[in-house]
Amino acid sequence: MKVKVDKTLLASVALHVLVIGWGLVSFSSKAFESAPEESLPVDIVSADQLARVTAGSKTGKKENPKPLVEKVAEAKPVDDDAVGKISDKPPVVTDTSPPPEPKPVEKPVEKTPDPPKPVAESKPKEEPKPIEKKPDPPKVDPIAEALKKEEKKPPPKPQTQAATPPPQQNKPKERTFDQSKIAALLDKRDPTRQAVTGETLNSNASLGLSKGKAADNSATWGSMFKEQVDRCWKKPYGGIEAQKPQIVIDIRLKRDGTLEAQPIPEGTPGTPYLRVYQESALRAIIDCQPYNLPAAYFDEWKYFGGLFTDEKT
Amino acid sequence: MTFRPSRRQLISGAASLGVLAAGGARSAFAQQGPKIVPIPGGEFQPMSIAIPNFVPGTPSDGEVGANVTQVITNNLKRSGLFAPIDQAAFIERITNIDVAPQFANWKTVNAQALVTGRMTRQADGSLKAEFRLWDVATGQQLAGRAYSTSPEYWRRIAHIISDQIYERLTGEKGYFDTRIVFVDETGPAQHRIKRLALMDQDGANVRYLTRGSDLVLTPRFSPSTQEITYMEFGQGDPRVYLLNIETGQREIVGNFPGMSFAPRFSPDGQRVIMSLQQGGNANLFVMDLRSKSTTRLTDTPAIDTSPSYAPDGTQLCFESDRGGKPQIYVMAATGGPAQRISFGDGTYSTPVWSPRGDYIAFTKQGGGQFAIGIMKPDGSGERILTAGFHNEGPTFAPNGRVLMFFRDPGGEAGPSLFSIDISGRTEQRVPTPSFASDPAWSPLLS
Repeated sequence: MKVKVDKTLLASVALHVLVIGWGLVSFSSKAFESAPEESLPVDIVSADQLARVTAGSKTGKKENPKPLVEKVAEAKPVDDDAVGKISDKPPVVTDTSPPPEPKPVEKPVEKTPDPPKPVAESKPKEEPKPIEKKPDPPKVDPIAEALKKEEKKPPPKPQTQAATPPPQQNKPKERTFDQSKIAALLDKRDPTRQAVTGETLNSNASLGLSKGKAADNSATWGSMFKEQVDRCWKKPYGGIEAQKPQIVIDIRLKRDGTLEAQPIPEGTPGTPYLRVYQESALRAIIDCQPYNLPAAYFDEWKYFGGLFTDEKT
Repeated sequence: MTFRPSRRQLISGAASLGVLAAGGARSAFAQQGPKIVPIPGGEFQPMSIAIPNFVPGTPSDGEVGANVTQVITNNLKRSGLFAPIDQAAFIERITNIDVAPQFANWKTVNAQALVTGRMTRQADGSLKAEFRLWDVATGQQLAGRAYSTSPEYWRRIAHIISDQIYERLTGEKGYFDTRIVFVDETGPAQHRIKRLALMDQDGANVRYLTRGSDLVLTPRFSPSTQEITYMEFGQGDPRVYLLNIETGQREIVGNFPGMSFAPRFSPDGQRVIMSLQQGGNANLFVMDLRSKSTTRLTDTPAIDTSPSYAPDGTQLCFESDRGGKPQIYVMAATGGPAQRISFGDGTYSTPVWSPRGDYIAFTKQGGGQFAIGIMKPDGSGERILTAGFHNEGPTFAPNGRVLMFFRDPGGEAGPSLFSIDISGRTEQRVPTPSFASDPAWSPLLS
């Protein structure tokens, strides 16, 4: 008996077998290999500590260890976004009125060879103004208005020249540049960027974040100091009650890591246990010198207060 | 992954940063102050201390000097808070205690504290003891005293000096100049002879107070340290006795029908509180030792026993099975309603209030074990210090930092005394001449 085989069926079967067979080979599952990773030592850095180590400016240089300080005052970091948004931008009004009647306007002194009056320099602030976000290029009318405003004011300086040319009639008003009126052109808003303050002046900006708090790498060297002083610190036995002792000892170190002077405890301990606790910390500081701390931060660790405490921060 | 601290985390973070804030606040107000760097932690470690032999004032005082030094060294070592340095390691030999030692030499042997002293026999036959305690790191003298006594009391001088050193270096009162009264046990298990015995806390100077013909139990010191109250099985019922340890005079506390047991002095030493048996029950009574008047404190159809006063005398804790199983209760010293404070698994017995007032120590039985533990007077903070077969009868050192109890391994072996810190550290066997049980710690003698 002859079986009639449909050729298309054969072809279909053959193709399916081919495709499935290829799929079996190429999609065969492979065990997922995860190479064992080397474990890395990780220090937990709190947000506060991070803020300290990242102090600086976005545009600063990496090699500068200390952040920019322009003014000696209580440390306040730079604010990168201090310029802010200009919201009081005056509307631009185009002057559509016909040219004004010639008026007997007293024409300002033109091209007087006076030494330029340092109007701008008399301003207390030396900060560069945020030029890039100044109002739009001076339009015709705003300046005219500004000039008018300026004219309404009492003449600020005794600048009246003896030989004032008579007013010229019938001459259309010309746009002129008056050095004495420069002040009118200036941005009257208060500067939004404050000087960066700190303990010591430093004209070089350092790389970092404006959210950082200060030139403070104490998270780094502080933990190094703690590691080292811990080796000598034999804490007195405080019993099973949490006494939560906290004492501060002022420590002055020399560049080689030895003590410059005897550490000085701050305040007098209120209880016998606190006294013993304070003495144990003093002993540890003295016993464990010299300290191996990063030389780059010597200015920070040459004098600091060690807060000895049972608290695990 | 982003870190988004929850409100709770922020609050707890702010709380833990309080330390920084406290330090920072100061520097914010006073710009001159240095930057504050937190140095948290630091583990407790025994303090290394060097105690060279006390210098003899006259050539014949060498031996007593060495003995005093040995007693001090042993005391401090057994406290677990000090690590005395072996004398063989010393570089410097102290010959004159009136000149400052060369601290560099003591730093070399890793000493943190140094004790120097001198023992001198005076012309009148008395013994003069002087000592100085030095901080090696700073070179400062922390303490210095001189005592004069009869030569036979050289041990007490050593204990008193030990207390001075302990107190100055730990901030806690010492407990070395104290005695222990306990029940000395000799003979085979079936025919144990039990005698009241007295010794220094380090096991020296053992004295027997009774002859062993009668069974004695639960001796307790009076605050004056001159008297002991205890229970004795005489010919009839067990009775509570009072014994003067100097004169040996003995008297029965009250003449009650039935058994009287578990006595203890009030903190002022004027009264003795105890249990009196009434049928199948036992209730607490207090007797004024002067007027002999007796006051009933509890009246329950249960066994109320093991009373112990709080150090201020206003409250007392005791054991009662009024709730079904023995538990610890606290009530006013004048009687009235009692409040149960023990709620763990098992039963609680032999409560004793710490001389500091902060803890009540107890024996806890459960799961086939007897444990020694402490809890706060409100029942919180329960902590088991040691457990096993069979620990019992805790008693506090006068500074409330150390407990003594007895441990009986069972079988032919008898019980012995152990001391343990209330944090559960430094468990140590207390040397006794033979088996010993039921210890009671005296107050400081001086």
